This record gives sequence, structure tokens and C-alpha cells, in this order.
Amino acid sequence: MMIKPSLSFSIVMVFVLMGSLAWANPPATETTSAPPGDAVASADQVPFDPFDNPSGESYGDKDLMLQAVADPIEGFNRTMFVFNDKLYFWVLKPVASGYRVVVPTPVRVSVKDFFFNLMGPVRFFNCLFQGKWRSAEGEFCRFMVNSTAGFLGLFNVVRDKPSFNPPEEDFGQTLGYYSVGNGLYIIWPLFGPSTLRDSVGSIGDWALNPISFMQLVNVDAGELTSGTTNVIAYGVRIVNDTSFRIGDYESLKNAALDPYEAFRNAYIQNRLSKIAQ
Amino acid sequence: MIPKSIAAAMAVFLVMVFPAAAVSMEPLAVIKVPIDTVIAILNDPQYKVAGTKSAQRDEIWKIVKPMFDFDEIAKRAVARNWNDFNDAEKAAFTDVFAQFLGNTYIDKIQGEYHNEQIVYLGQDFYSDIYVEVKTQIVRETLTIPVNYRMLKGGDGQWKVYDIIVEGVSLVKNYRTQFASILSKDKPAQLIQQLNDKLAEQNKRLAENG
Repeated sequence: MMIKPSLSFSIVMVFVLMGSLAWANPPATETTSAPPGDAVASADQVPFDPFDNPSGESYGDKDLMLQAVADPIEGFNRTMFVFNDKLYFWVLKPVASGYRVVVPTPVRVSVKDFFFNLMGPVRFFNCLFQGKWRSAEGEFCRFMVNSTAGFLGLFNVVRDKPSFNPPEEDFGQTLGYYSVGNGLYIIWPLFGPSTLRDSVGSIGDWALNPISFMQLVNVDAGELTSGTTNVIAYGVRIVNDTSFRIGDYESLKNAALDPYEAFRNAYIQNRLSKIAQ
Repeated sequence: MIPKSIAAAMAVFLVMVFPAAAVSMEPLAVIKVPIDTVIAILNDPQYKVAGTKSAQRDEIWKIVKPMFDFDEIAKRAVARNWNDFNDAEKAAFTDVFAQFLGNTYIDKIQGEYHNEQIVYLGQDFYSDIYVEVKTQIVRETLTIPVNYRMLKGGDGQWKVYDIIVEGVSLVKNYRTQFASILSKDKPAQLIQQLNDKLAEQNKRLAENG
């Protein structure tokens, strides 16, 4: 049996990352004593916020501990942060702003809906992995309806129906659901902030997305499965998505005293809230 | 019969002139009334003229400032280090942090407002004095969840002590930043740092009219 190089590579990567995940997940006690990332406060000094921990016991402490993420490669991350920042201001923002002017909103919405629909199976399987049957049902129905009545996903015909629009799940969240910790914080060039867990998750999601799945199982769909098409599709998707969010990055950055720390914390908080959903 | 719009305008007027009348206001209304007013100011043609930006900013600040409990926000953002601040430092910090937040976010909505709709999803009471008001900003087809956490003060007024945007708490985001600064520097230096940022911000805002 022939295994495609891309498949064997990704399997190797998964094992490498899994291995380092175990290494990067020291016992909780160790994490609390000396977190290289965010500072951890003790419970009695944290102001009470009932919404952080509705059960009411030992409030604050657990939440802050969860928010602290190991950042042993901060030097590398800060360099990548600057790199991605420049990439945003010099390339992505001007391109997305121009694109926004040239391409009418309904078209941009359709492009967004198309890619969103294409990734439907990824979200569907991650709902299943977490035993969220209702959500899985919603994902499945939306995918079926939009792929047919919505012309291959170019239109989202069930946008206003809450039961068809469950919270979006990905493999990083699935791992988090089964109590896999963040590991360490990593900023990837081009792809942006992540953690070890979420990076492994991205590989899982990549394998689940229909196009790469076809590559994995050696289906040759001609241009559709070619590397160039994938790169172009990824580029279009990023530019299109950014065209809806111009200004959001800037406002968080301007509001920060230390943008690097602000984004690290925002990333971790955002992921925590998604895992909790 | 008084037309509905006039009645609504009168209600807003009454609330603004006689804050005591707002005692029984629902937390959701405490959020909604000023936000609607701000959107009206953002759409007001009188501020579409060049050079009126700072007047508009002042007008918006006047409306939104009473929504927030800045003492509570400052205290929560500094968290465990709050006891290291003396009274004068506490007051100075609260003041500069409030202005900094006001400037940052008002500038953002002035520059970026493109007819986003605000959807009010409801209010979750944790107890008699804690509530979370859930809203969504709808921009084209993108929805951004924004939750306002509120505390009822001794005077019976609901005020916002934290805003959660897409699961990210503003207070906690600053908490990590302040904690790392305060692990190295004194409170006075943090206040100085915020003052410098504020001055830089004011300068930039003045240049942009």
C-alpha cells in the first residue's frame, strides 16, 4: 500500500506534537508555582464575579489558573507577533480593504457562506466527538439544506434559525472538552496565535475538511485537490473573512498597554469560552 | 395622545434630568437607553461636518460615562495589587483608566460605525445585585456577542463592571497586563504609563479633529 507523502508527514507531525504535548503538560501544582506566562493571583485577593464560577466555590482562583498559559518560547512568539502585525498592516489590511471596496457585500457574504458550508463536516464531526447530538443534528441539517437549496453553500438559507446554528466546534475544542490543557502558547507565522493543543486540533480539522480528506484517501479530483488550488482558496478565504473585521485588530491593539500580552490573554479567554459552550 | 417617539424622547429626557427617576430601571434598559442615544449621535448629520469630531466625542462620553462603575472596573482590573495603591493613587488610577477606556472605544466607534445593529438577547440575574445583560452586534452577517456584567450599587443603580466581547473579559484582559507591569513597577509608574498613553492618544485625536 502506498501512503501519500502528505499523509505520512501529517501522521509524523501528530505524533511529534502529541509527544511534546505530554511533555508540555506538567502537573497542575507545577504550573501554579511558576507560570512562565501570566501571573496567577490567589483566590482571596480576586474580586468576586459570580459569572466566572456560578457554583460559587473557590471563585476566581481556578479561573485565573485556567487563564494562565505557559509561554516558554516567548522570544520566538514576540518575533512572530511583530511579523504577523506587519503582515496585517502591510499586506492583509490593504488587500482586504481594497477587496471590500471592489466586491459588493452580497458577494462577500456568499464567499464567506461557501467556505463556512464547506467546513460543515469538520464542525459536525467535532460535535459528535463531544457527544453534542443536538448541535451535530443542527450542523448536519444546515449542511444538507445549504449544499442543495443554498447552491453549494453560496447562500445560508437557515441563518435566522437558532437550532440550525449551534456554536462552532473544532478539534482543539474537542481536545479541550476532554480536559487536554493548552500546553504552551505558540504564534505561527501567517496563521497567528495558537497553543500546542489547538495546533494539534488544526491538523485534525485539516484532515476532516472535505478537500484534504480527498487528498488523504487518494481521491484525485484534478484541480480541486491540487496544492495550488488549496493555497489560493485559503488566501481568498482569509482576505474575505478579514474584509468583515477590518478595525477589530487595531482596536484591541490600541487599547492595550502590552499588545502581545493582551492578545495572548484574549486568545486564551476566547478559547476557554468556546470550550465551555 | 402623545406620539410614541415624543413619549420616548421625553422618557430619555426625564431619565437624564432626574436620575432619581431611573431607580427602578431594569438593567437591560440601563444599557439600551444610552446605546440607542449614542447611535443617534453617530447618525446625527450635525456631526458629519469636518471638525466636529471632538464635540461628538464629548457628547458620547457624557451619555456613556454614567453606565459604568469605573471604581469597580479599576479595582477589579488591578485585583490583588489594589491594596498596594494609596488613596490618592487609587483615585488617580481610576480617573486616568476611565479616560483612557473612554477615548479608546469612542474613537473606535466614531471611526468604524457602519450601521451595525444591536440585538438585546436578555438579562441573566445571578442574584439581586449581579446581572449579565446579553447583546449581539450584528455587522453585515457577522454577529459579535457582547455581554455586560452589572452590579447594583448602594444607591440602587445598575452599573457595568465588565464587558465580555466574544468570551473575552475586558477586566481580565487588563488584569494580566497590569499584573505583569506591577510585578516590576510601583503603582505610580503604572499610572504614569497610562497618563503617557492618554496624552499620546489625546494628541492624535486632536490632530484628527
